[in-house]
Amino acid sequence: MTLTSAIIPSKAWAIGESSKFRIPQILYEGGNPKPRPDAIISLLAQLAKRTSVNVKRQEINLKISDPSLFRYPLIYLAGDSGFKPFPKKEIKILRNYLNFGGFLFIDDNSAKTNSEFNKSVKNLISELFPRSPIRKIRRDHSIFRSFYLINRVAGRAEIQPYLEGISIKGRTVLVYSSNDLGGAWSRNKLGYWNYDMVGGGRTQRDLSIRLGVNITLYALTLDYKKDMVHLPIILERLRRYNSP
Amino acid sequence: MNFLLNLFNIPSSEYNDWEIRVTSGLSYVTWTILAILFIGALFCFWSGLSRIQSPRKKFLIFGLRVLTFIFISAILFQPELELKKTRELKNTVAVLLDNSKSMSIKTFPEEITRATILTKAFQANRQYFEDLKKKFRLEIYYSSNQLEPVSLNDAIRLYKPNGVGTDFKNVFKELKKRHDGRSLKGIVLFSDGGDLEEGFEEISPVMMEIVDSLEAPIYSLQTGSNESFKDLSVSRLDAPDFGFLYQPIKVEAVIDAFAVGNKNIPVTLKEGNKILISKNLEIKEGQTRYRVQLEFIPNTLGVNVYKISVPLISGESIISNNTKEFRIKTVKDRMRILHLTGRPGWDSRFLREVLINNPKVDLLSFFILRSLSDDVAASTSELSLIPFPSNLLFSDYLASFDLVIFQNFKFEPFIEKKFLENIRAYVHNGGAFLMIGGELSFQGGGYEKTPVEKVLPLKIHDRMELFSEAEFNAQIGEQYWRHPILRLEKNEKQNQVAWNSLPKLNGLNAGLKAVPGAQVLIHDGSSKTTGSSPVFSILKFGKGKSMAMATDSSWNWNFLKIGEGGSGRYYQTFWNNVVAWVAGGPETQSLLIETDRERYAEKEKVLMKIKTLGEDFNPFKKADIEIVIRSISKKIEILRKRLTTDENGEANFEFLPKSEGFFSAEVKWKKESETLNSETRFGVFSNSAEFEKPKINNILLETFAKISGGGYRVLKENSDLKDIVFSASKVREKTGSATFGLWDNWFSFGLIVGLLALDWLLRRRSGLS
Repeated sequence: MTLTSAIIPSKAWAIGESSKFRIPQILYEGGNPKPRPDAIISLLAQLAKRTSVNVKRQEINLKISDPSLFRYPLIYLAGDSGFKPFPKKEIKILRNYLNFGGFLFIDDNSAKTNSEFNKSVKNLISELFPRSPIRKIRRDHSIFRSFYLINRVAGRAEIQPYLEGISIKGRTVLVYSSNDLGGAWSRNKLGYWNYDMVGGGRTQRDLSIRLGVNITLYALTLDYKKDMVHLPIILERLRRYNSP
Repeated sequence: MNFLLNLFNIPSSEYNDWEIRVTSGLSYVTWTILAILFIGALFCFWSGLSRIQSPRKKFLIFGLRVLTFIFISAILFQPELELKKTRELKNTVAVLLDNSKSMSIKTFPEEITRATILTKAFQANRQYFEDLKKKFRLEIYYSSNQLEPVSLNDAIRLYKPNGVGTDFKNVFKELKKRHDGRSLKGIVLFSDGGDLEEGFEEISPVMMEIVDSLEAPIYSLQTGSNESFKDLSVSRLDAPDFGFLYQPIKVEAVIDAFAVGNKNIPVTLKEGNKILISKNLEIKEGQTRYRVQLEFIPNTLGVNVYKISVPLISGESIISNNTKEFRIKTVKDRMRILHLTGRPGWDSRFLREVLINNPKVDLLSFFILRSLSDDVAASTSELSLIPFPSNLLFSDYLASFDLVIFQNFKFEPFIEKKFLENIRAYVHNGGAFLMIGGELSFQGGGYEKTPVEKVLPLKIHDRMELFSEAEFNAQIGEQYWRHPILRLEKNEKQNQVAWNSLPKLNGLNAGLKAVPGAQVLIHDGSSKTTGSSPVFSILKFGKGKSMAMATDSSWNWNFLKIGEGGSGRYYQTFWNNVVAWVAGGPETQSLLIETDRERYAEKEKVLMKIKTLGEDFNPFKKADIEIVIRSISKKIEILRKRLTTDENGEANFEFLPKSEGFFSAEVKWKKESETLNSETRFGVFSNSAEFEKPKINNILLETFAKISGGGYRVLKENSDLKDIVFSASKVREKTGSATFGLWDNWFSFGLIVGLLALDWLLRRRSGLS
């Protein structure tokens, strides 16, 4: 028996640099757009270590208005304080980006309930999708089974036990975490963790990394885990995994 | 009359009648005012005569004044004399002979058709109609849904009960129109009353109004009777126009049974001679209508003709309605596509979105999410990864897929090498295979010198040159602009604009060359001297098709295009075209025959258009083709003819079917080493609605007679019609006239002046002023 995950011999065919997977971080006016500067590089490293995704560990910082935005269908927006509302032009670009194939992951790094960043994010989302309020993501969503089977929403600080998101025509286009996932992922070049976990330890960090991997793989594969051929096995494992 | 003619000095032969008419245009109000003024004036005048003692003189003067006023009034009326030339007209009697199809139904116990009763009775009364013709203008019509005039001599000789269904409303309206302003003294109607729009209980108000408007008595002669009427029929059928292969199709038949008695009958559904299903139907006396549902599973693609039938019962009035044919187009329900992706990436993500959103596609995706060296830091039970069912997919179920896609997929260690031969055989036997680029495709996937390489349109000629990073524009091969895969827009010029508008691609699998017979639809346009590298190529391999997309950046056509302010429509169209090409729809065929419609009425020409296209889908000129038309219903060949297509690779052909039923038109084209063929099917239907209500409608015929003041009787072969008589009141028609004014002349004015002068003289003599 072979697992789909089992064996790709190597990444020796590392050609086609432009095809490699990258995640740009979004820059904006006001606030602090990069409170966890190593978050994305650390997540990419985890992706490379744990999955077959061919990543390029390259730091990319983009403004929404950057012409190369549409080369990256997954973008990361983070912060720990309030930020200025996006200009109308950028709102329009971002709405277009999300409506037609893009994916935005927003991470609140403040580790506070009802933070200023949270308020700015909610304002941004209501500007982006005035008719589609952000909702809790259900536990049977593909995000929780795109690679790991996840039954707990972790982060460096577990402010909210759930993810929030917006879906358009069956595709989730925006995911928002209040739990400082970036803080849990961040590791320096010497391999040490940059930030301590709040109220948890190694397990909480590992769960945070698993959630980051799953969010990324959802953006890359969408709902394929809901294809009928995959469902029976996944549901059986979930049943066993969730039972005491 | 002669006095008038002499008065106006007109020869007596010119006019034979006269009339005085009033031409004044004064209104009633004016006349009323004038009358009041005249009466008032006369009253004043009478008062003014009080001084005259002699009553005789008094009345004489007053009489003169009254006379003057009368003449003045007469002038105000502006009278005219019209001298007329008139001739006497005969009244019209219309004879309607119902020639609708229901007249071919047999009547019992005589066992002769209604049409026979009509013709024999008409012949027996030939003298009656000859006599009628002397007194009246006799108009004879065949009557079904319209009127068709016929002479008395030809009425029976040319009579055939083949008219389209009876429509009395239309017939009577047409009759009224023909006799508008002319006298129609009566109608003799030979008919079974079988008007589908009218019930057996009562006549519709609209019909009553139309009959009333004719203002002529209708003599209804009922041809045939319902006595001993016996019939079993498939009167209606509800069947879908198309169904899916291997999916059950439901058909509902309405069976009508009249006087059949209590019995069980089989209701049978056949395709050709093969019985697909048969159901037992219990017929009970007292119940005439039954619904039977039949279900079957089609197992051949294309247009198939089916037949539902009930058995013939001894002594049936109609035998043609015991069978009903129908056609159903059987299509594949959905294309099954197996999509294997070597590692998650944007190219596979966007392609999956297109495929999953294509309603004609049933998609099964596998992403290889983990490599050998990966450390997932979790047990298997914490992962959502499932075993890759290699054996099942590539041995047992491979043939059930219509298309297999390897996207950036290295077969080892997921698929044993021996299964690659299965892929080759699968394509050779009619399957389709698509390899999409990336570092794990072609050389990178280890496909060199494997059975999969034999299938591909591209051959690996340089195993060291793996990938090119340079950006490039997709260039369409000059001769392939009409290829259905490349049709982003229907219009050729707009299509070129569409391709030129697409963003650049980046990342090309290099070291590949097209194999003989392959078509490089898209290339990178990199070198005009050494040849460009193929980007998208296709090949017909055995009975199947293979394709190769030597890049993993086609998603640029989607998301980058959106970033440029466009849409991902062309990207979606391109990949949907690929799917359609695999499915082999009509737009992907090199030889195509089409009819302008799928259903035709009797005596209607069937127009066929044949197209011949080259491998590059440009018109193939002067192609020698053969067309064969067959009757599916009768299982015979009707016509075989050779045709040559024109400069546009087209040929038109007209065919006039001589009977109803289903037909097939097949074209064959011997093109180089292969013979192509294409087939279309069409149906020719006579209007058989008449047989849906085959019984005589005596209520309708009786009501016609009753409300029009005519008569009704059941016609027999030897019925005598002499007692049907019509009033022959004369009608005159004016053929010429001349008019003369009676007031605008010196005589009229002189008379008034003379009367006034006499009046003045007598008044003076009587001492009045």
